[in-house]
Amino acid sequence: MTLAQQQLAFAAELRADDALPGEASPGMQIYRNAYRARLLSALEVSYERTRAWVGEEAFAAAACHYVISQPPRDWTLDSYGANFPAVLACLFTGDDEVAELAWLEWYLQQAFAAPDRAELNGAVLAQAGLDDADWEQLRLTMASGFAAREVRRDCTGLWQALRSGVSAGFVLEPADPGMLIVWRQGLTPHFRVLSAGEFAALDCLVRNKPFGAAATIAGEAGAAQLGQWFAQWLNEGLFSGFSLPRAPLARPPGAGC
Amino acid sequence: MSQTIQPFTGFGLGLRKEHHAEILACAQPLDFVEIISENFMACGGRPLHTLDAVRERHRVAMHGVSLSLGSAHGLDRAYLAELKALAQRIDPLWISDHLCWTGIQGFNSHDLLPLPYTEEALDICAANIARAQDVLERPLLVENPSSYLSFVGNCFSEWQFLAALTERTGCYLLLDVNNIYVSGVNHSFDPRAFIAGIPADRVRQMHLAGHSQGSDGMLIDTHDAPVCPEVWELYTCAVQRFGTCATMIERDDAIPPLSDLLTELDQARTAAAALAA
Repeated sequence: MTLAQQQLAFAAELRADDALPGEASPGMQIYRNAYRARLLSALEVSYERTRAWVGEEAFAAAACHYVISQPPRDWTLDSYGANFPAVLACLFTGDDEVAELAWLEWYLQQAFAAPDRAELNGAVLAQAGLDDADWEQLRLTMASGFAAREVRRDCTGLWQALRSGVSAGFVLEPADPGMLIVWRQGLTPHFRVLSAGEFAALDCLVRNKPFGAAATIAGEAGAAQLGQWFAQWLNEGLFSGFSLPRAPLARPPGAGC
Repeated sequence: MSQTIQPFTGFGLGLRKEHHAEILACAQPLDFVEIISENFMACGGRPLHTLDAVRERHRVAMHGVSLSLGSAHGLDRAYLAELKALAQRIDPLWISDHLCWTGIQGFNSHDLLPLPYTEEALDICAANIARAQDVLERPLLVENPSSYLSFVGNCFSEWQFLAALTERTGCYLLLDVNNIYVSGVNHSFDPRAFIAGIPADRVRQMHLAGHSQGSDGMLIDTHDAPVCPEVWELYTCAVQRFGTCATMIERDDAIPPLSDLLTELDQARTAAAALAA
């Protein structure tokens, strides 16, 4: 047997979910236990509040299902739980807040350690001396750790209640569907729920469409609203840079990678 | 790869997030800190900000767990590129990883899996180490892991295998004294024979750690307890053979206050000083 064959067989035995205690050698049992324990622990750390909300037993069952169905592939254990919110959505049908809360936990952690990007602010844009035609074509790049998804429940309220340790009395009130965004400004991750209108405008920029497209969505009457939104987005540090057709990507002075 | 790593004599700790604030708040009696490389690769934000601040105060050794030097399918190029980028950023004392494999064909176990000590495994490990050293443009330190099973058909002991790797690749060694003890108990070999079989001029760092008792008489390398008397005794034996090379306490679970680890580190200083006197 070659080393490659040996390692493939070892990996299969490590991952096998049907081996009963006593079938593996004591040494292999240590590796099997360590493999599962490490992955379960990674999920517990990444989804501490989701675990608190659904309860120990339900979380353990979901995590075991995930460990069996989603073997790790990346060199970093930090990425292991990336698909857990989607799996929770399938396991907790009818309880939308579970997957939404898990998504929020995951992306806040991703934003916390996401690669650094410069922050685009109003002063840099003013310095660029853009004319009307430039604004039409302006493309904006999003902040470090930016992510977005639709939410149907008050998962941000739930997240805050769990952080404060007062979730026992937390009542999930019906909430209008909105778009939850996560990003990092400086060293601090942030989140906010946007209305459908605000997100539609922002989504144009997320999809790397020209700024003019967002203005079109807002319509002539909404131009003032778009202006307000854009000023708020800049203040919140939602962008890291901008570009114009046939012009190099502009970055603020002293920008990082 | 013909570069050398000059000996560095000092005493350090693994950098753990529980101690970040204390290490940054005031001067600590540490000659170096060791980071888990993967915790700072391809990232930014507060983790990298903290590392940069620590680097301003201390020398840093990079210690990895995912290089997979024993993988029959070779090394991950993207991983190596990220490792090199981090090394360029912090200018470490050295980069180390383990004599093990972590996965194959896209699967990553996130564990340090055991290798058979055969001619084929030696060829593969040597080729992988040489490749990593070429990409990183520096020699590596290779660490002996704890292991819980051995393979029929081994041609070498673990120490013979490590010695052969240093000879073939020019790599250096990070000797984990606790791992020698744990594997010695698990595989019934004399830890002193391990130490005696290691080329003395290739050791640049030593790890000290605690372990726990598993079932079936096995010891498990849990890094969740103080260094036990048997490992301290073996450390004395190692210092006698290798001199006072860089030594650190490795703690990854049940992390105690920094002051406790500094006290434990002082014990290593005292032991090494007594032998040097």
